[in-house]
Amino acid sequence: MAVSADPPSQVQVHLFAGLREAMGWSEQLVELAPAADATPHQLWRQLGLQPAHPPAGVRVAINQQFATWDASLAAGDELAFLPPISGG
Amino acid sequence: MLAIQLEAEPFEPLQALAEWHQLLAAELGMLPAAESHFVGRVRPSGANDSPLTALELEHYPGMTEACIASLAAAAAGQHGATAVLVRHRIGLVLPGDPIVLVAIGADRRGPAQRCCQELLEALKHDAPFWKREWHADGSSAWITGNTAL
Repeated sequence: MAVSADPPSQVQVHLFAGLREAMGWSEQLVELAPAADATPHQLWRQLGLQPAHPPAGVRVAINQQFATWDASLAAGDELAFLPPISGG
Repeated sequence: MLAIQLEAEPFEPLQALAEWHQLLAAELGMLPAAESHFVGRVRPSGANDSPLTALELEHYPGMTEACIASLAAAAAGQHGATAVLVRHRIGLVLPGDPIVLVAIGADRRGPAQRCCQELLEALKHDAPFWKREWHADGSSAWITGNTAL
């Protein structure tokens, strides 16, 4: 009998605009640490995003909805770090 | 009634309004008693007054459209507006070209005008768009704030 593997505990991370260009990548799959309570703030540090403390004005979205920096991430989530918005 | 569209190519606001009127007439039977419109165009100079060759607009596909629809529905609900049109450029936009059109239909001028202004401000602050200024020497810079009201 085939045994299915556990789904990978990964989140898809997206960067935009100046943040994307500063880091040199636009998206990547990131493995969540086992048993860790992953949050956007924790992933910001894990990915080595600069500056080390997220600057004011940078916002986060989880599954394309604005979220807080201490929101819990789950496997399969889409996380985006959003530089200051300047639309309209 | 919401009509939201991102435009990858130049659009003509008056033509967009005419198309919207046709849609409203078909859906509502007649046009709203009051309308308020806002058209924003790209300035010829950038944040430091240097001439612009273009303004680039990046967005978050999926989230940007959903945010605009949510903001439009909230503003319409708050002011009792009956119809909202938003057309917003993405990609490279040349100086003088339209970048955003917001149109509100309501029963009275007050709700139409207030809803239009409020929705425009909401778009500027809460819809994920990012602007980059391009200059004649090939340099560019991302804008990290909004222009003065």
